Amino acid sequence: MKRTESIVFVIDDDASVRSALKSLIRSVGLEVEGFASGQEFLDFQRPDVPGCIVLDVRLPGISGLDFHKALIKAGIPLPVIFITAHGDVPMSVRAMKAGAVEFLTKPFRDQDLLDAIQLALDQDRIRRKQDGEISELRERFETLTARERELLALVVSGKPNKQIADAIGISEFTVKVHRANLTRKMQAESLADLVRMSVRLNVSPKS
Amino acid sequence: MAAGLAGFALLWSLLLQPYVSDAFIIIFLATVMTAGWFGGTGPGLFCVALCTLSVDYYFIHPRYALVMNAEGVPYFLSFLLSAGCATWLASTRRIAEESQRVHFDKLFDQGPEAIMLVDHRDRVQRINAEFSRIFGYTSDEIIGGVSLRFIVPEHLHDEAMESRAKLLNGESVSMESIRMRKDGTLMNVSEIAVPVSTDGQQMSFYYLFRDITENKRAADALERAHAELVHLSRVTTIGELVTSIAHEVNQPITAVITYGNAANRWLAQDPPNLVEVRDALGNIVRDATRAGEVIGRIRTLVQKGTPQMTLLDVNEVIRSVLNLLDAEIRRNGVRVQSDLGLVPGVIGDRVQLQQVMLNLIINAIDAMSRVPMRKSVISIRSSLDRDKVLIQVEDTGVGITDEQADTMFNPFFTTKPGGIGMGLTISRSIIEAHGGALWAASGAAGAVLNFSLPSAGESNEAN
Repeated sequence: MKRTESIVFVIDDDASVRSALKSLIRSVGLEVEGFASGQEFLDFQRPDVPGCIVLDVRLPGISGLDFHKALIKAGIPLPVIFITAHGDVPMSVRAMKAGAVEFLTKPFRDQDLLDAIQLALDQDRIRRKQDGEISELRERFETLTARERELLALVVSGKPNKQIADAIGISEFTVKVHRANLTRKMQAESLADLVRMSVRLNVSPKS
Repeated sequence: MAAGLAGFALLWSLLLQPYVSDAFIIIFLATVMTAGWFGGTGPGLFCVALCTLSVDYYFIHPRYALVMNAEGVPYFLSFLLSAGCATWLASTRRIAEESQRVHFDKLFDQGPEAIMLVDHRDRVQRINAEFSRIFGYTSDEIIGGVSLRFIVPEHLHDEAMESRAKLLNGESVSMESIRMRKDGTLMNVSEIAVPVSTDGQQMSFYYLFRDITENKRAADALERAHAELVHLSRVTTIGELVTSIAHEVNQPITAVITYGNAANRWLAQDPPNLVEVRDALGNIVRDATRAGEVIGRIRTLVQKGTPQMTLLDVNEVIRSVLNLLDAEIRRNGVRVQSDLGLVPGVIGDRVQLQQVMLNLIINAIDAMSRVPMRKSVISIRSSLDRDKVLIQVEDTGVGITDEQADTMFNPFFTTKPGGIGMGLTISRSIIEAHGGALWAASGAAGAVLNFSLPSAGESNEAN
């Protein structure tokens, strides 16, 4: 069996629609899993690969929109494509605002769904890459000492070494040493690089 | 006449005189009584006088001379008394007869019903004012004519002859039929015909008519309005369900289209994946069939028409409605517990009974949606209660008060926003039209709606 590169999760309580969607998605060579309810999906051990969810708006017990919110809350950032038997404008607006990739009304054109799935998988790939970068940056940030972290915040706010030294009551030379260390540890190539990293890490001076 | 009678009595008395002594007295008494009875006071007295004179002349000493003496007085008095009694009795009886006749005439002529008297040859003998009013004929125009030709439309002659045969048999006939007015228009009448025969005479027939055209029209209009309302309510119920049903039809259609697209893609692969294609085609057939079935079910439900009374299995009716409501039940997270017993069939209109079940279940779902914290369970039971089939729908909803148990059947009673409040009213009228009863009671958690239908006697084979 080939290695799973990406996976599409179909959540629809109607068995016919679910298996039809699975057949369609498989036919373009994508891996697919079907679930009759949100809970079934949550119970499923998801492989750590890019993925997206094709979600029926009307699910037994909970609406698809609420389930989408619950996913976001639970920190499952998979892109969602809504499908519905009776989409109205306010509902689709709500879905799109909540970050849905697409909102399709049944019956939909197969190409529209496959395009949306492709788009969603691309989005997830990018997100995963970004998430990967951030977690790498975070790892680097974790190696900094408390003093270096304090300095980083001041450095990226654009203060010259002299001022930094005065602010925290150490010599300008010591500041230079710390600054060289933290730049190396963060693997930054320039001050601009350092600034970009700290933005992504959400580091700011405590002032 | 009194003189004739007196002469007749004298002749007989004289003839009998040689054989029977004193027979004259009996004969003269009978004579004066007869005169008093038939003739009244005047002729009675006249006859008494003649008889007294005759007796005096022929039978009392001295004979053959009119000598009024004491011997004649008892004869005179007894004649007078007899004649008086006879006169009085006769007049009393005449007065009674007269008043009876006047009463009858009044009743006949001024009564509120149209009356026609015909003889044994169907000739009209007499009609009253009401008859003239509703049929348009005056007495002169119709009396002596054949009633059949006048007032019975030609296509109903056979029916009229049939009822005549019954009348000749001595039976009364009561029926609703159509009769023709003078101007040729037809009207609905309720007709009562009574045969009357007196000894030795040919039978006559009294016919009583009441014009019920208006009543009939009103009743028909009411029936039509009711049918409209039932239809409307059914359509409204459908309206409430339409989203759910659209969903139910849309699902298989979506599946069919998706399988079709998938099959194309499987075929386009190199080599084509025929296993997947066959699988998709099989599913297309299955889901398209399912969509067709849903449409069929809706069509049965909205059909408008006269009730078709057939032998029905209530359990089957219940199951068909549950099937129809499947999407609605699942969407609301309701669990259905059916406990369908071995019950006899009932005679009823399938669509109407489905509508009642539909109403009760939708109401139950609705009542439970307003108690979000509780488990939503609908229990549906069918059982045999003496000679009735009892169906109960119990929910775990908001429940009902004793007062509501009565008022909820009133027209326009509703607790639903946008509800028209006719569901239970119509359900009850449907059940009552089936000879059953529909009532509400409090259950363990929510409400219990019960209805019973007369059993048709045969036990079903199912479960």
